[in-house]
Amino acid sequence: MSKIIEVHRLYKSYGAVDAVKDVSFFVEEGSLFSFLGTNGAGKSTTISILLTLLKHDAGEVKINGLLVGKEDEAIRNEIGIVFQQSLLDPLLTVQENLDCRARLYKMNKMERHEAIVRAAETVDISSLMKRRYGKLSGGQKRRVDIARALLHQPKILLLDEPTTGLDPQNRKQIWNTILNLQRETNMTVFLTTHYIEEAANSNFVVVMKEGEIIAKGTPNQLKAQYSVDRLMITAKDHAQFRRQLQADRQVFSDDHGAFLIQLERTTEAIALLAKYEQLIASFEVQQSSLDDVFIQIHNGKDGTENDDFCEA
Amino acid sequence: MMIFAKRNLLLYFRDKSALFFSLLAVIILVVLYGTFLGNLIADGLPDFPAKKWLLLSWIFAGILAVTSVTTTLGAFGVMVEDRATDAYLDFYASPIKRSSLFGGYVMSSIVIGFFMSLLVLFIANIVFFLNGEEMLTIFQFVQVIGVISLSVITSSSMILLLVSFFRTVTAFAAASTVIGTLLGFLAGIYIPIGHLPAYLQTIITLFPTSHSAALFRQILMEQPIAEAFAGASVSAKQEFLLDMGVFYEINGFLTSSLFSILYLTATAIIFSILAAVAMKQKKS
Repeated sequence: MSKIIEVHRLYKSYGAVDAVKDVSFFVEEGSLFSFLGTNGAGKSTTISILLTLLKHDAGEVKINGLLVGKEDEAIRNEIGIVFQQSLLDPLLTVQENLDCRARLYKMNKMERHEAIVRAAETVDISSLMKRRYGKLSGGQKRRVDIARALLHQPKILLLDEPTTGLDPQNRKQIWNTILNLQRETNMTVFLTTHYIEEAANSNFVVVMKEGEIIAKGTPNQLKAQYSVDRLMITAKDHAQFRRQLQADRQVFSDDHGAFLIQLERTTEAIALLAKYEQLIASFEVQQSSLDDVFIQIHNGKDGTENDDFCEA
Repeated sequence: MMIFAKRNLLLYFRDKSALFFSLLAVIILVVLYGTFLGNLIADGLPDFPAKKWLLLSWIFAGILAVTSVTTTLGAFGVMVEDRATDAYLDFYASPIKRSSLFGGYVMSSIVIGFFMSLLVLFIANIVFFLNGEEMLTIFQFVQVIGVISLSVITSSSMILLLVSFFRTVTAFAAASTVIGTLLGFLAGIYIPIGHLPAYLQTIITLFPTSHSAALFRQILMEQPIAEAFAGASVSAKQEFLLDMGVFYEINGFLTSSLFSILYLTATAIIFSILAAVAMKQKKS
């Protein structure tokens, strides 16, 4: 597979603030790529550069072999964008909105008509065409936004936090739409999110923090690399069990009356349970969720608490 | 550019409150004239033939001048809103030239200003007709349309510069209200220039819109003036023309139609250049 987006040693600063520091990554054609990070991590800046909306200070960005900053107009034909906010005109109907935006691309009347019908069918908004965009629900608006991004049949669909502010049901629906699109059309989908569960569907994940890439890999790789399994034990006699563990030089933590022991592999639990069988009242082996992985990545692998991970 | 002009026109006419507000200054003006300003001005003048026709023509010339500015201004609301809501991002990320986006804003504001002014011109004719006065001749009609075009283009360039400083819709709305209100004074439309103190007179003669108003007056009042001053002295007629702002006197120099046309044209060119510079600086 070829690389449809290549970012090499990208830098961007606003005055004294470095928003993006030496960022490099690539996206394979036809893949679903997630760009993960909290607010202020530098995601939006990177995306704005990819979209040719912002000039970068240093580095090289290529979209489908076209150089950002040199061949911007050609790049704009290759990318379809779903912005974080809904940007279509609320006073115009869906049909009028799509017609207006379709005119931004080189299409004749027939092609435009076909493009609108095709995009509308893809995201299932054909029944909304006569309604005013401003009167639609959040989920409906989002679907229209995606239809707008698909008008010119772009090679790359870029979605900036597409599900932020939607209820769970709509979020799921939008996700199904995106996944179907990627599967059926083999379109490259690039999305940013701060929900790790959403990144789980993707082929590759890049995690950004404070303008730098701090982790990348497939969701499974990230999970394998960063997840920590734990054995949680409640003892029959709390004090006795504590003494026993200390005597055995076992590393543990005491969490509200339960003992937590970190494991390299889940199977290590078997030996421990056998060893302390007589002392254990109940136990549980916990595998970390993607959420834990995300927090783990952000805090550094050793798990030290780091408060500035919180959203600024 | 036409894509954007079409979109902006659609948005302007569909936003009923924006449409109303861009006509608010005109509505206020009509109400003021109807309730007391009209009588006030009439009482301040001696009786002469065709007085009502003359004043009606004077009033509509002023309304046309105000309309050509406020509707153009209102049309730029779309641009301010696009910036405030980030709606422009979608256009910036599309394969079009930014200049065609800005061209679209200017174009739609000119088209809107032109057609709204034309509407006022038709209403003026209907009012003349209902009052039993003569309507405009075809030639005058063509002349008025020419002045409307020039006036709208000049307004558009001035407003373009002004709008480049507004980032929020509220600031723009506030500015629109202030401009709509002040315009009537600054162009000698509420009260004839001759009744105002000297320093205000100077401001009025320099304010571009006053020159649109003067040009409209010269055309609309042509026949009633001829009738009213048929038997009067040249100096009495001259004094009246200056008092009512049909022509202006700047430092002893008497303005002509050509002077006003050139003044408006120069304003349009200078402000377009300033606006272009302001926009360029904003971008980088």
